[in-house]
Amino acid sequence: MRVIVVDDEDLARGIVREYLAAHPDVQIVGECSNGFDAVKAITELKPDLLFLDIQMPKLNGFEVLDLLDAKPRVIFVTAYDSYAIKAFEVNAVDYLLKPFSRERFEKALLRAAGQAGDEPPDAIDNLIRSTRSLTGPLERILVRDGSRVHVILSPMVDHIEAQDDYVSIHSGGKKYLKLERISEIETALDPKRFVRIHRSHIVNIERLVRLETYAKDSRIVVLKDGTKLPVSRAGYEKLKGLL
Amino acid sequence: MHPILKDRRTLALYLLAWLAPGLTLATLLATTAKASWSGAMCFSLPAMIVYAFMSLSAWYVCRAFPLPGTDLAKTVSSLFFAALLSSALWLLVCYAWASGLEWMQPGLAPRERYLDSLPLLASFGVGLFLIAAAIHYLIESLESARRTEHNALELQVLARDAELKALRAQIDPHFLFNSLNSISALTSTDATAARTMTLMLADFLRMSMNFGALEMIRLEQEIALARHYLDIEKVRFGNRLVVQTDIGAGTLSARVPPLLLQPLVENAVNHGIAQLPDGGHLLLRTEIDGPSLRLLIRNPVDPQRIKPHGRGMGLNIVRQRLQRMYGSGGNLDVQETGGNFVVVLTVPHQV
Repeated sequence: MRVIVVDDEDLARGIVREYLAAHPDVQIVGECSNGFDAVKAITELKPDLLFLDIQMPKLNGFEVLDLLDAKPRVIFVTAYDSYAIKAFEVNAVDYLLKPFSRERFEKALLRAAGQAGDEPPDAIDNLIRSTRSLTGPLERILVRDGSRVHVILSPMVDHIEAQDDYVSIHSGGKKYLKLERISEIETALDPKRFVRIHRSHIVNIERLVRLETYAKDSRIVVLKDGTKLPVSRAGYEKLKGLL
Repeated sequence: MHPILKDRRTLALYLLAWLAPGLTLATLLATTAKASWSGAMCFSLPAMIVYAFMSLSAWYVCRAFPLPGTDLAKTVSSLFFAALLSSALWLLVCYAWASGLEWMQPGLAPRERYLDSLPLLASFGVGLFLIAAAIHYLIESLESARRTEHNALELQVLARDAELKALRAQIDPHFLFNSLNSISALTSTDATAARTMTLMLADFLRMSMNFGALEMIRLEQEIALARHYLDIEKVRFGNRLVVQTDIGAGTLSARVPPLLLQPLVENAVNHGIAQLPDGGHLLLRTEIDGPSLRLLIRNPVDPQRIKPHGRGMGLNIVRQRLQRMYGSGGNLDVQETGGNFVVVLTVPHQV
């Protein structure tokens, strides 16, 4: 079994390494100390199992998972995160609380090994979704480009467009593609700032310059950078409420 | 104690208010009973003053029948009975006073004229007593509203104080469990380091628990606590955490509220250093500036970080404590510039 250990503290990775030394069948293929490195290492090395800390520089553990297309099996390791622990309980995901005993560690490892060959359960996807709702509106959008991660702070987003299974995020003249449904990103964003004006468009209302009406149900908005976007009837109702 | 008799000013105002019915009665007597103006005045005003005092008894009726909670019919009938009784007593007083005036100054206020005005006097007596009762009810309800408000405020203050006290003595569980995890990791690789870390953690816990019970400590003690904390964090973060202290002359003996600086140091580590892959320098500077003691903490931050969950909570508690202790004499200034987070705490310099 190939394993990556992700924790920003050397000593915390050390104890996982120490406990794993008793398992010659388990090979540590990577150790990462921050979220960016973790995404890169996991995408490139495709491990079977991940020991993942929650609080880390750059990206937290949930954000790392959210950015992965193929999610490995995960054993979460955390010291104390009341909201994360609640999410683990709700989604029946295994986790280790620091400090943990060798016995507890073995149990988690055995359980993870028992799932070998199976597809990762939906539990992780549900977990990511439920932690999102617990932490309030999305403050930044993360986009993975190969093994690189772009961080777009929510206020910097101009508008978002649906493109099949992807959303195209427009920010400061640049375009970022993210594998996500527009309805999902809509619910995660701050509803005071972002409005779904159309089936395939979300707009940052601070970028609006004007609304033009051509016919009864044919309207467009013009953004600061000159972009024109269609507005549906339902979108118009929402905009009216906010402006 | 009767609310009107409680202080002289209220009593004077009360008696002054009674001048109005006194003058009204004199006018009525002068016009309807055809008495002389001077006679009507000499009779009415003293009679009213006496009745003013008699009407103070309305308070006891009001107290015996508080408005909410008692049967209304009973209250009204009791009030009427009391009004009739006091009015009757007052009529006797009026009779005596009219006789007295006649004896002192015959012809000034002929007694018979006043006895003709008995119905007028009786209706004044009943009416004024009822008005006095109404005023007493009003005073009583205002007083009880004030009392309720006062009690509610007092409770709020007590609860807030208790909460602040509990919060400032709180040890960050994240810090505690991560430190224990470091000790657990060190036991097999470096037993001496594990013991050192255990002792540092014990010292830190003991100090913060002791400080929680104190009103004021020397800045030296608070700095020592911060140093303990940072030493422990250095074991966890390795060379990601570099601490630089710049202690101004004479600042160590200054007296400060305990655990005011500590949450700011913890914030600098948790939301600053810990969020950066390569960490950074944490600067702690103390200086005296005229009448003020100034404490500065500077740390680098990741501009793309997620703002801490329950943002500003720690800073808010510090602000509230400053407000409570120093009013406008304390200040907490927070700035984020060029990737650095700078917190400046200013308090009066006390020795």
